[in-house]
Amino acid sequence: MISISELNYRIGEHAILQDINLDIAEGEFAAIIGPNGAGKSTLIKLILGLLPLQEGRIEIDGVPHLNWLKHHPMGYLPQDEKFDRRFPATAKDIVLMGLAAELKPAQRFSTSQKERAREAMQQTGCWEQAKKPIGALSGGEMQRVMLARAIVGGSKYLFLDEPEASVDQAGVKNFFVLLKELNQQGRTIITISHDLHTLTSFCSFLICLNKTLHCHDKTELINADIVHDFFGETTKIVHKSY
Amino acid sequence: MFTFDFLIRALIASVLSSLSLAIFSPFVSLRRISYLGEAFSHMAFAGIAIALVAGLSGRLVTLIFVIVLAYLIGWLSKRYKLEETNTITIFLSVSMAFAIILISLSSAYAFDLSSYLFGNVLLVSSADLILVGIMAALSLAFILIFYHQLFYLSYNAEMAQFLRIPVTFTNHLFLILLATNIVINLKAAGIILVSAQLILPAATIFNLVRRLPVVIFLSAVLAIIAAIGGFALSWWLNIPTGASIVMLEFVFFLISLTLRKRS
Repeated sequence: MISISELNYRIGEHAILQDINLDIAEGEFAAIIGPNGAGKSTLIKLILGLLPLQEGRIEIDGVPHLNWLKHHPMGYLPQDEKFDRRFPATAKDIVLMGLAAELKPAQRFSTSQKERAREAMQQTGCWEQAKKPIGALSGGEMQRVMLARAIVGGSKYLFLDEPEASVDQAGVKNFFVLLKELNQQGRTIITISHDLHTLTSFCSFLICLNKTLHCHDKTELINADIVHDFFGETTKIVHKSY
Repeated sequence: MFTFDFLIRALIASVLSSLSLAIFSPFVSLRRISYLGEAFSHMAFAGIAIALVAGLSGRLVTLIFVIVLAYLIGWLSKRYKLEETNTITIFLSVSMAFAIILISLSSAYAFDLSSYLFGNVLLVSSADLILVGIMAALSLAFILIFYHQLFYLSYNAEMAQFLRIPVTFTNHLFLILLATNIVINLKAAGIILVSAQLILPAATIFNLVRRLPVVIFLSAVLAIIAAIGGFALSWWLNIPTGASIVMLEFVFFLISLTLRKRS
């Protein structure tokens, strides 16, 4: 369970998040939606300890989030990970990065760790690319490699920041099918997305964010009026066909 | 016999010094921090001047000075939100200016400036040789022990930190050893040339191979060949050793460029 209470975040005089109170139960497939600048990435980064907490509390499994993060692996797929495409790493090296915290100095990856990397890559459908240099991977392939890295450590939570951004239209639905499988295997998924149409088929909990918070369960997901009331003219519901 | 011992010592010092710097070079190259080698060696010049004026142990004072300055740069950049590369460049130049003023004011003005600027492997004593040897062994051990941590730190430090890989500790150790490496090898490599030996071996090998363990191994091999070849050239042509090693490494770099084009 992830519990957020009385969370406020500002940059200078500018409020980014205001009075956020939110509980995400285990097993949810939660989607965070909102217009640009609504504070979606900020909220995720605060939960993941990538931004310092200014006001409020975040707890994961009843423990202050920074303490929890120190001792547990956390699954995270960032929107635009900065890396040099010429960096001498293979896809498998990147997946093994998710297990590198387990290594002591002078230790090499064990056979069982390599096996876990293989399983994660098979599950996300990128095992065939294991030996390819990262510079030779397409956007969609790299996305699956990073998803494999996010799940290889065995975290029960998986955060994704606009995973559809670097995947082509046809790939988005397949990617969400994969996320649903991971969700059904017991992982709690929290994803930022702009693709409402796809989300309605997969997620169980919708978090509408625009500095402040508004939550819905699945039954209300398709009610465009609610989303429109909340975001006003800044957001339009786009129906895509795949 | 005296000449033979003296030459052998100088040759071994050249090889160990080049090797020690070369095994850092793949990570310096991947992290795009070759300017740090330049900065540390110039800051070291101020450290040498302070030690000279105060009559203290040159290496220890220089090492402490460089490490304190490196942390001061990090702190200032963070505290006043300055661009770190700008802060480094400012301190690099100010260190040189400070060193020149100190030396010109001191009675030690007659000290051999060019041997510090360009290095003089023939001045390496037996005690220096032991230090250079220890440094080479330490560098090798560090790269072997922290290989994975260094690999992921070079890939993306922020993500590596999020994934609980001990990158902060590894990075501190990396920078302290890099500074120590430069200070210990200044006598053999020289202030101006030491940074070339921190980038040329890996820059050459990366033109031919992209697998990191192979790059580290071949950078070391290339540095040893350049050290022996450069030493021989300096003996035959009566030119400075450090400069001939760097020139030879540059020739290898040019060859690797043409081979990369062909491949």
